[in-house]
Amino acid sequence: MKYLNLLLLCAMVFLIKPDAATAQKFMAEEGYVEFVSRAPLLEFKGTSNHLTGLIDLDENLIDFFVDLNTLETGIRRRDRDMRSTYLKTDQFPFAEFTGQLLTGFDKDNPEEQQVVTRGMFTIHGVEREIEVEGTLEPRQNGLKLNASFTVLLEDHNIDRPRVLFYELADEQVVNISILLEPVTN
Amino acid sequence: MKILSSIILFLFLTPEILFAQLERQRTVVGQPVELTFMAPRNINLLTVEPLSKGELHYSIMHTFGEVTGGARNLWGVDQGANVRFSFEYGFGDNFSVGFGRSSMDKVYDFNARLALLRQKRDGSMPVSISLAPSAGIITSSFGFLDEDYSFSDRLNFTLAAPIARKFSDDLSLMIVPTVVHFNRVGAELNIADPNVNTYYSVGIGGRYKFAARTALTFQYIPPITNADNLDANIGIGIDIETGGHVFQMFFTTSRALNESYLIAGENGNFFDREFRFGFNINRLFRIR
Repeated sequence: MKYLNLLLLCAMVFLIKPDAATAQKFMAEEGYVEFVSRAPLLEFKGTSNHLTGLIDLDENLIDFFVDLNTLETGIRRRDRDMRSTYLKTDQFPFAEFTGQLLTGFDKDNPEEQQVVTRGMFTIHGVEREIEVEGTLEPRQNGLKLNASFTVLLEDHNIDRPRVLFYELADEQVVNISILLEPVTN
Repeated sequence: MKILSSIILFLFLTPEILFAQLERQRTVVGQPVELTFMAPRNINLLTVEPLSKGELHYSIMHTFGEVTGGARNLWGVDQGANVRFSFEYGFGDNFSVGFGRSSMDKVYDFNARLALLRQKRDGSMPVSISLAPSAGIITSSFGFLDEDYSFSDRLNFTLAAPIARKFSDDLSLMIVPTVVHFNRVGAELNIADPNVNTYYSVGIGGRYKFAARTALTFQYIPPITNADNLDANIGIGIDIETGGHVFQMFFTTSRALNESYLIAGENGNFFDREFRFGFNINRLFRIR
């Protein structure tokens, strides 16, 4: 009888645990992210193709991060300033977002769908709750996510030069584009 | 039985929990430490701060007369400046070539810098070491001498090897062993001892950032060559980085702005107020 219970428990665990076909996790490590700075006299952006992300539809979890050392603005000296002086990437190497989908998403509907997420965005070691709007589109090989939001450097205690020859806007527009592939456990 | 059930539940359900959030892993590892100093020079001493490939660094450096002249001479400014302008171009991330011209003794210098070792963020390399050879040509007129200077007489050669460590975002220190050789010396040159051709030094320099883009800087070059009239060079200053330009303002005991004269030149006594005001403006251009 004891062993029957054990067998039943095992069977139950296997039944509860989703298999590869039903798992709704999607991951990628080479997504695109850009931080666009639009100051009155100068617009430039820092870009990276190393955005790592996870969307877990079962757990309603959205989790993204990027190693800020991979950001490039096209001018090496500006990159060095960005890493050392503004973002302090030795101390705070990642920009990250962890949140939840606020809107429903039907992965069996092949059309691009508007989604809204809310979660914590962290950069320079300072965490802020933000809401991000974007689109999710089921593709044959995964989920395509495009999203955009703004970050105020001041909110994250990132000190900007007040007197300067290249201007850095306080408001940074963050755009991401990533194709997440299905993950089987 | 309960324990066994718990183990089974743990084994089968925990991977889900563990997988909940992504592990933060750095994409870039083993990166060199950057911005050990704000510019290729810290006051006057060469630093290990390399140019990247395609970067052109322009600097204009000045030192004025001694501040002992007082307000009447605007603390030395009225006495005219030794001025050096220079260009340096990064042919690779670790190699740059440049030239400069100093008004004192009308010296043109041609120089190179090679970043031999770069301090690594992960600690696998604790210091950065560069090698900086240069050759100078003195172009002053010496027609008043019995024996004029030949082309070869006008040459001097310098080899500096700055060794630096960035201890934190704020504190960087370096030592700069340097050897300088003048093919010909004499009282007509602005050097300490008209009878000594070769000078050695181990300069010390550093910076401490007390704000995000502002640092206190210093240099100290002890007189270790056995030569007359050779005194310690002492300099203290402030670096201000403005995103594109670096302004360096300082007080120093020497008029010299290039390596050879910095090591071999005369110095005032800092503690007798025999120092002078100077400033450098550094600008970086992207050519490529």
